[in-house]
Formats: sequence, structure tokens, C-alpha cells
Amino acid sequence: MVTARNVTKKFGNITALGDVSFSVDAGEFVFLTGASGSGKTTIFRLILRDLKPNSGELVVDGHHLSRLSTRDLPHYRRHLGPIFQDFKLLPDRSVWENVSLPLEVRFAKPGDVFAAVKIALQMVGLSDRSSLFPSQLSGGELQRVAIARAIVGKPKLLLADEPTGNLDPKTARSIVSLLKDIHSELKTTVIMATHNADIVNRYGLRVITLENGKLTKDTPKGKYE
Amino acid sequence: MNKYFKTAWQRLRRTPYQTLISLLVVSLTLFSATVFFLDAAAAHKILRFFETRPQVNAFFKADITPTSQQVELIRSRLESTGLVENFKYISKEDALRIYKELNSTDPLLLEAVTSNMLPASLEVSAKDPAQLKTLADQLKKEEGIEEVRFAEDVVFTLIRWTRSVRTARIALTSSQIFITFIVILSVIGARVTSRKEEITILQLMGATRSFVTAPFILEGMLYGFLGASIAWGITYLAFLYSTPFLSTFIFQIPELYPTPVFMLEVLGGELILGSLVGGLGGLLATRRFLKS
Repeated sequence: MVTARNVTKKFGNITALGDVSFSVDAGEFVFLTGASGSGKTTIFRLILRDLKPNSGELVVDGHHLSRLSTRDLPHYRRHLGPIFQDFKLLPDRSVWENVSLPLEVRFAKPGDVFAAVKIALQMVGLSDRSSLFPSQLSGGELQRVAIARAIVGKPKLLLADEPTGNLDPKTARSIVSLLKDIHSELKTTVIMATHNADIVNRYGLRVITLENGKLTKDTPKGKYE
Repeated sequence: MNKYFKTAWQRLRRTPYQTLISLLVVSLTLFSATVFFLDAAAAHKILRFFETRPQVNAFFKADITPTSQQVELIRSRLESTGLVENFKYISKEDALRIYKELNSTDPLLLEAVTSNMLPASLEVSAKDPAQLKTLADQLKKEEGIEEVRFAEDVVFTLIRWTRSVRTARIALTSSQIFITFIVILSVIGARVTSRKEEITILQLMGATRSFVTAPFILEGMLYGFLGASIAWGITYLAFLYSTPFLSTFIFQIPELYPTPVFMLEVLGGELILGSLVGGLGGLLATRRFLKS
């Protein structure tokens, strides 16, 4: 699903990622760990093609990202489900409208949008909150809306960038549990960035560790170190 | 299109205070532009009024009574130049009548004059006063014309004045239109800037450039359209309110009274201008935040 070969990304003189190589198979659930500034978000932004690498190659679902044209970029992104630490919800749109956004941008039929949003909200347990606005929700609920928005278009790859970073431990565990359920149910590939040791250690899944922009460890059933 | 329009309308509706302030600024700017435009149009008409007043007087020899064919021949030759605004033939009888009117208080002068003593003449005004000399020169060549007169000094002073006033008007109106463009572009730009994050999110969700841009263009057009309607409405109300006052001096020149058709043309122009500038503002501002 994702193959990174010797990817380097620099911001001026600062190397955010240096010569990073890894691959993630379809259907895997992978934790991406490391301290703040280790390069986790840069990897997500590169996969989202929000950034371009200075060197190296990144292939996602058969798309060579460095060769992706501006025209094809929106179509490529529709196969991804990004979840952000700061939620990135539109404040003047209701929960329903926020969740339906990925389907609206691909001009889905209103009937299909209705059915898909209803299912996504049911999966995250927010059916009764659909008419509320983000300012009326708690942190955990906001992250659930963001997850519903990420899964509504049935993406091949979920990219969760520290989705529990702003949440209390109990809510954080419920969010990861939700992501695990989605992964099992929809067979979606999930890459989740986190520096929450408790969560990583609880599931015993593959862990890729980054330190100062370098990939230092890649263990199939890893622990947070 | 309906989806884009819905999104644009939703954005206006859900940020009512921002919308109101932006609309107020756009309306006031367009109101100011409308007043400048109407003022410029009135000034143009006033200048035209004064420019067409000066005329060339060509007098036939006193012993000649020109035939109507002769007068028509001169008229057609002059009009073929395309410079003539108005052509009038004053017969010997007309001249006597005018003379009598002018000297009605002096019976002695009236008794001594008959129509045969007065020359028939032509009064010719030009579309452009600068062309009066050309018309005068041509009239001098016509058969039977004895004398051609026009107040050359006064005419050239008038030309200098009208040219200066016109240049100043064009400069003022152009600067006002430029200011209108800048203000509307800035207002729409500020609206789009406040939604910079939304543009990023939409793009990350897989929205095409046109999907992101179209509602912002429509939003800008809506501002322009509504702002133009409000500006025109205020102008028309102000005009109706001040008509009794303006009738005492400006509307003494009937051409200056703006007809309903003219006002509708102004409305049409404003709606087109407002919508185009608003739409352009939306497009330019959105393009700044679109990542390729």
C-alpha cells in the first residue's frame, strides 16, 4: 500500500526526514512513534502530497507521488482518509455537513451521501449529534466526527496523525479502539502516529520508530521505547 | 452550479455579521462610484450644452434673396462634413421680425427699416466648437455669402475650459472606479482569507480547484450584485428626495434630468460591474491559497 524509498525532506537547512525507507502492506495497522519533531507529521504530509520530498520515492497504492500531476492529485487524495490532531473540522458546518464533505467533493449522489454519512455516524456513535456544530461538541466527539469524515468515503488508507494528542486517557483509548474496529470491519490500512506509550503497548502491533527524522526501528510486534 | 450557489449562500447566512459589514462596505463604495458616475454624466451633458451654443453667422449679400434650393445646397454641403450640429436659415423677413423684437421700444428705428435692407443669413452650430473655424471657412466660399462671423476668442476660451473640465472629470471618475475595484477586491479577499483553513481542508479531502474556487467566485458575485442593488436604491431614493431642490437650477437644462430608462441602464451597469469585480475578487483571493 505504501512504499517509501530513501525519502528525504528538508525545510531550509533543517532535515525533517533523512533517507527514510519503509513499506506498509494493504490491511496493516501500523503505529508511527517518536518524539515531537521526529518527522511523523512530515511523513503524513508527504503521503497526502501536501509536501514533495527533496529526494527519494514514495509510492502509495500504485501512485508514484513525485510524478502525480495537479490534475490527478484530488482523485488520489480521495482514496485517503486523513485524521488530524487538531481535527480540522469546518466550524460553520454541522456534524452531518462535515462528515459528508469527502463525498461532496467527489459529487456523489445525494442518496448515496445520505446513506454513507448515516452509516459513518453510527460507527462512531454520533448519530444523535448530526445537526450540532463543532463548537457544541467535546474534544472526544470532535475527534469522532473527524474519524467519521475520514471513513465515509471508504478510503484505502487511514492516516491518523496523533488523533489522541488532545484527549484525556479514557477518551484516547476509546478513539484507538474505534480505529481498531474500523480497521477490522472495513479492512482499511491504518497508519497512526502517536507518542502515547500506553496505547502502543496495549495492542502489540507493528511499530515504526522515528528519531530526529531517521527511521530507527521497525518491529512487527513492537513496544513504545 | 446549484450546489456551489447553495454553499456560497450558506457561507453568507452563517456569518451574518461579517456578511453585513462586507456588504455595507461594498454598497457604500458602489454608492460613491454611482454618485461620481452620475455627476460625470451630468457634467458631460452640461459641457455638451455649452459647446453647442457657439455658432457661425453667415450673411448673404443684402441685395440677394436666396432661393430654397440655394439654401438646401449649402446645407447639404455643410452637413456632408459631419461637423454640423444645427443649421438654421434666417430669411430677410425673419431678420426683420428679430430686428423688430430687439428694438420694440424704439419706434424711430423700426420705421426706418424694411426687410429688403436686412440680409438673409445662416446660423450654423458645430458638434465640436473647435470645428467652427472649418465651417466658417467653408461658408466663406459659398456663392452669395458676403460676411461670416463667429466669436473666435470666446470659442477658443470655451474649448480650453471644457477640455480642462473634461480631463479633470475623467481623472476623478477613473480614480473613483479604481478605488471601487480595490475596495471590493480587498473586502472579498478578506472574506476568502478568513476561510484559508477551509480551502486547505477541502483540498486535502480531494476537492478539485474548481470545486474550491466556484463558491468563492459566486460569493463575491453575490456581494457585488447585492451591493450594487443597495447602492443604486440609495442613489435613486436620494435623487427622488432632492428632485424638488435640483429642479430649481440643474434641471433647468432638460437634458440633465435622468430618465427612468437611463437610471435602469445605470442599474444594469452597476450590477454587471459589481458582480464581475466581486467574482474576480473571489477568484484572485482563492488562487492565492490554492496549493498545486
